[in-house]
Amino acid sequence: MLPRAEIAHWLFAAGFLFFGLVVLAEAIVGPEVFRRRRWRAYLWPSLALTAGIWLWLIAIFSTFSTLHLLAHSLWAQAATAAGAVQLAVIRDRLHSSYWSLVTAGALLVSGSAFLVHEQNGWLFARSAFLHHLIGWTLVISAIFPLGAALLPRRAVWAYGFAITWIAVAVMLFADRDIAPIFGHLSDLAGGGSR
Amino acid sequence: MRRILLGAALAALLVPASAAAHATLRDATPREQSRVEAPPSEIVLRYDQAVTATADSIVVLGADGRRHSGTVTQAEGNTVIRAPLHGLVRGEAYTVRWHEISADGHVGNGVFTFGVGVDAPPPTEAVGSSGQTWRDDVARWVLFVSLALVIGVVGIRLLVLPRPVDPRVERRIHLLGTFGAVLAVNAGLVGFVIRCANALQVSGVDLLYSDLSPFAESTRFGIAFLLTTLGYGICLTILAIAWALDLPALRWPAFLLAIALAWGYALSSHQATEPNASLLGEVADWVHLVTAMLWAGGVLTLAIVVWPLAPHMRRAAFLRFSRIAIGLVGILVLAGTVVAIERLPELDDLWDTSYGQTLLVKVGLVFLALSWGGMHHLVVRPRLERGERVHAVRWSLLAESSVAVAVLLAAAVLVNGAPPPVETPAQTAVPATAR
Repeated sequence: MLPRAEIAHWLFAAGFLFFGLVVLAEAIVGPEVFRRRRWRAYLWPSLALTAGIWLWLIAIFSTFSTLHLLAHSLWAQAATAAGAVQLAVIRDRLHSSYWSLVTAGALLVSGSAFLVHEQNGWLFARSAFLHHLIGWTLVISAIFPLGAALLPRRAVWAYGFAITWIAVAVMLFADRDIAPIFGHLSDLAGGGSR
Repeated sequence: MRRILLGAALAALLVPASAAAHATLRDATPREQSRVEAPPSEIVLRYDQAVTATADSIVVLGADGRRHSGTVTQAEGNTVIRAPLHGLVRGEAYTVRWHEISADGHVGNGVFTFGVGVDAPPPTEAVGSSGQTWRDDVARWVLFVSLALVIGVVGIRLLVLPRPVDPRVERRIHLLGTFGAVLAVNAGLVGFVIRCANALQVSGVDLLYSDLSPFAESTRFGIAFLLTTLGYGICLTILAIAWALDLPALRWPAFLLAIALAWGYALSSHQATEPNASLLGEVADWVHLVTAMLWAGGVLTLAIVVWPLAPHMRRAAFLRFSRIAIGLVGILVLAGTVVAIERLPELDDLWDTSYGQTLLVKVGLVFLALSWGGMHHLVVRPRLERGERVHAVRWSLLAESSVAVAVLLAAAVLVNGAPPPVETPAQTAVPATAR
């Protein structure tokens, strides 16, 4: 009944890639041009809120370990909160640039949860390597919303985030359950697959 | 640019997890919670990656606690562990407790049951499981309080308060309702994990690597957990959108969904698994829960939203709530009586059993709360109708809310508790030879 893990990864990777490209487009042309069509501004919160619901769905089917159940529910709540805040920013219910600090904190928490949830070493298998990489990418990328909160006029933060996002999508596309990485596959990982 | 950054960061939170972080049990022979017709000669567990097993990584226990499994061996690149079985008989159910050491050094573990010629009992009834503890009661209590916020506060906003209201009132109701949904989903999660831990008999870090799927897939509380977690996740999303877009009407679907989801808690109560459980009892339980949440949430809304933030609305809100409160209390008492009769068929169960004694405590608290509400209805309401100024109403409402929260605690203990056993027709039938 359940799709394989990599199917869910690829589904999310596709969504993230779309999201990253949207963010990049807005960074390149600027918010004024990008939002001449009003609906474009709603793409990001819509994606975040939709993904939140999908993550709830994944969470309740992740009962094969308590850690996975809790991690997915954490991400689902973070996505929902983030989407709602972004929606409120677009609707001018929230005005301060310091709302980006919430995002920075959420990224730190999410990245940390990702690293905690991957207990194997970097070269255990390809998925382990990519999980470490995604976790650290998320943690480090918290600097972008932090910068946006403190120096909101600089465009570098927008470009940084867009590229981060596209990179995360590529990592997810390359993610496999058990496969070699740089020629390495731990004996403890079992037979390589997919 | 700020919005770009914010949106990108938000989306980054959505990265899903993978199954590769830890060895996961793929399947077992006999299967989890299965019924087999002939006693198996061995038990086999297959994992998605290699594990390290010890001699007692699989322990199979009979209902009397006797061990029926031998020394564990490994095969197929250490992804399979197996143990020989002996002494199994048809007509008995068996408990399997397993653990392995994954490559990451953590101890994965789980428990399930299977029956030989009989249906497997739920994993919560596995040999060695403990009953529910105060932790379960606290989790259930927090859950009830959160429902009072989602169903009660949001419901009273929709049913009682006029439109439009003061923006500060609207904001606080949004905050309380959304907080209630967050609390509901997390209290549900924690309650589920705690209940699983009672059967798994592990704690701390080991609990993080426990396999909870047998509980989620084959118990009533597990299925209720899956439905309510997803449902309150959606409810939370709707409330968040209603807040962000400033669309109060959007709270209707969230409110109705929350009411429907409360059915899950009636479904997952201890009573729901008793032989005398009936559809009428479950419906009564659900109605009892929903009306209690509306009443408790309504009093709370008056005390912490209307009174401090909107003095001009006090009179109208109090009078309107007072009108529906009479109906709510009537339904509450009626549904509660139906539930009590089903759970306690004998009157002396009230004082002879711990369940009955807890019910008496709850009834006492309900009586206190209703008396308080009656005082408001008979003393405060007429004075407000005459336009007189009434002092200390807020504190009185807060006190009534506190009693309502205490009632919810008693209700949590009751829901988790086992009602006195009921004799089934099979037990009461007189054998033919004895006639």
